Amino acid sequence: MNRRDLLLASAATTGAALTAYFRGRKFVRDVRPSRSRLAVLSADQYSEKLDQLVYDGIRLFDLDVRGKSVLLKPNLVEYIADKPVNTDTQLIGAAVEAFLRLGAASVTVAEGPGHHRDTELLLFQTALGDQLFHRRVRFVDLNRDELAKVKLQARYSGLGHLWLPRAVLTSDFIVSMPKVKTHHWTGVTLSMKNMFGIVPGCRYGWPKNVLHWAGIHESVLDICATVRPHFVIADAIVAMEGDGPLNGTARRLNKLVLSNDPVAADAICARALGVSPEQVAYLREGSLFLGRIDDHEIL
Amino acid sequence: MGLLEDLQMEIERRTLPGGGWASGNGATAGIETTCYGLMALRHDQEPARGKAIAVLSRAQNPDGTWSAFEGDDREGCWTTALAFIALRFVTISPTRLDNSLGSILNMRGREGQWPWNWKFRTVDRHVQFDPDKYGWPWFSGTVSWVVPTAFAILALKQAACCRTESVFKRIRLGTEMLLDRACPTGGWNAGNGIVFSAGLSAHIDTTAIALLALTDDQKSVVRRALNWLRGASPRCSSCYSLAWTTLAFLLRDRPAAELSVARLCEILPEKLTTLSTDTLSLASIAIRASEDGRNPFKVN
Repeated sequence: MNRRDLLLASAATTGAALTAYFRGRKFVRDVRPSRSRLAVLSADQYSEKLDQLVYDGIRLFDLDVRGKSVLLKPNLVEYIADKPVNTDTQLIGAAVEAFLRLGAASVTVAEGPGHHRDTELLLFQTALGDQLFHRRVRFVDLNRDELAKVKLQARYSGLGHLWLPRAVLTSDFIVSMPKVKTHHWTGVTLSMKNMFGIVPGCRYGWPKNVLHWAGIHESVLDICATVRPHFVIADAIVAMEGDGPLNGTARRLNKLVLSNDPVAADAICARALGVSPEQVAYLREGSLFLGRIDDHEIL
Repeated sequence: MGLLEDLQMEIERRTLPGGGWASGNGATAGIETTCYGLMALRHDQEPARGKAIAVLSRAQNPDGTWSAFEGDDREGCWTTALAFIALRFVTISPTRLDNSLGSILNMRGREGQWPWNWKFRTVDRHVQFDPDKYGWPWFSGTVSWVVPTAFAILALKQAACCRTESVFKRIRLGTEMLLDRACPTGGWNAGNGIVFSAGLSAHIDTTAIALLALTDDQKSVVRRALNWLRGASPRCSSCYSLAWTTLAFLLRDRPAAELSVARLCEILPEKLTTLSTDTLSLASIAIRASEDGRNPFKVN
């Protein structure tokens, strides 16, 4: 091979690599935080003690939420007695209190339950309605909020756009608060899958079946690329394993996981459930641009 | 003033400047909410009523369908059946609804198309249902679900003028789909009764809506659903679910309807200003139907 051949071969190889890179890349921006940070807090019960624990935990991150509108997105799916299906209401209340103490201008709790149209009933059955009433916090039913059409910041699902709730789009700081569970379709449902709940039922149905047909993993990636949660508070005090997200069995992990990185939070929660994060397609792909599976700092 | 009048005044007060009602706190008319609002008002509640009809008229797509809200992409969805029921209730010209009826007939769950039917028959058996029995989806390109199927069946049954063989066939198929997908303990969840071999529990509102669509059916699945609803509704604290329950019981079990509407009237007053417009409207429709029998979800 002479020098000319070598140059041509190098150019061809570089061109092919670049083409593959740009053709394969399906996200607009790399939004991984410069430092992925995690805190794993021990908690063995849902009680008023969580108020102080969550406040102290959030303070480890030096978040500046002063004057900001904070939106807490819990996982509220269905009430099944004795099944840990939903993010615990005491924990949601504690997070409300913590962000208000940290100077947030407002805290809103918002959710769009996946297949239950009667959100009023769910709020009553889970006692979240009472919790929010006593703490004087507004709840927004994301299934029925005002919508705006948003271009997705990744193209895994091929949907291109989604109509998303204004309550989400106008918030300064979004906190995903998943219940840590296994999921029969996606392996696990954690802070990233929890963001399915921001997609409005009034536009995509109950359940949001359009997303299932576009691919659950793909939709999770597109949604999180577009509305990336700024912070995660994962409820792993009592988690669910087995036939989640509804019919699994309770598993006591006695932990709360806090993070500024949804991929990092989900990776550690997945491992706690015995699921390798690399085996979960949206986590593996999300680690390219949304956060880090490894290489994070434990506070 | 009575509770019904209070409800109707509150609904009227919430009318958007451009007409109709928003689903939440926004400024855009939602088709579902506007349909309920329209059915909830008295005939003399103008201009709110006229403006709501105008919203539905201008939001109708050229192919006769409706989207989810005013300004939405022009893709027809499940609200088409609901708008058909609402407009028929307020006696709009039937010819304007002919297109809608055709669109409802054209819409079907994905399992009603052969590649997907085959998929659900062979490789995808996690959700146990018979894909030959299909109904209507919420939005095109997805499978059938209970609520949109129930509304579509109701709309087709109410279109007494157009009882063609194709209409009968779709009503029959949709009915079979509902019967196939009931929960093991009675009633209906959002779509399927069994997923990954586990029985799902029924939802009160979904069960009531399905029962409205199956009013003339006496099969054991329907009787079991009715019994389930009789057991579940007395403990219910949601005005939304109680309103649907009342509407369903009014067509089958008058004493149960009276209990249900009494509970609704007991809970409503303290929540009048905080409940969603959907819920207030459905409560208004239910209370009025219990008083004068005018139930828009009844098949004549």
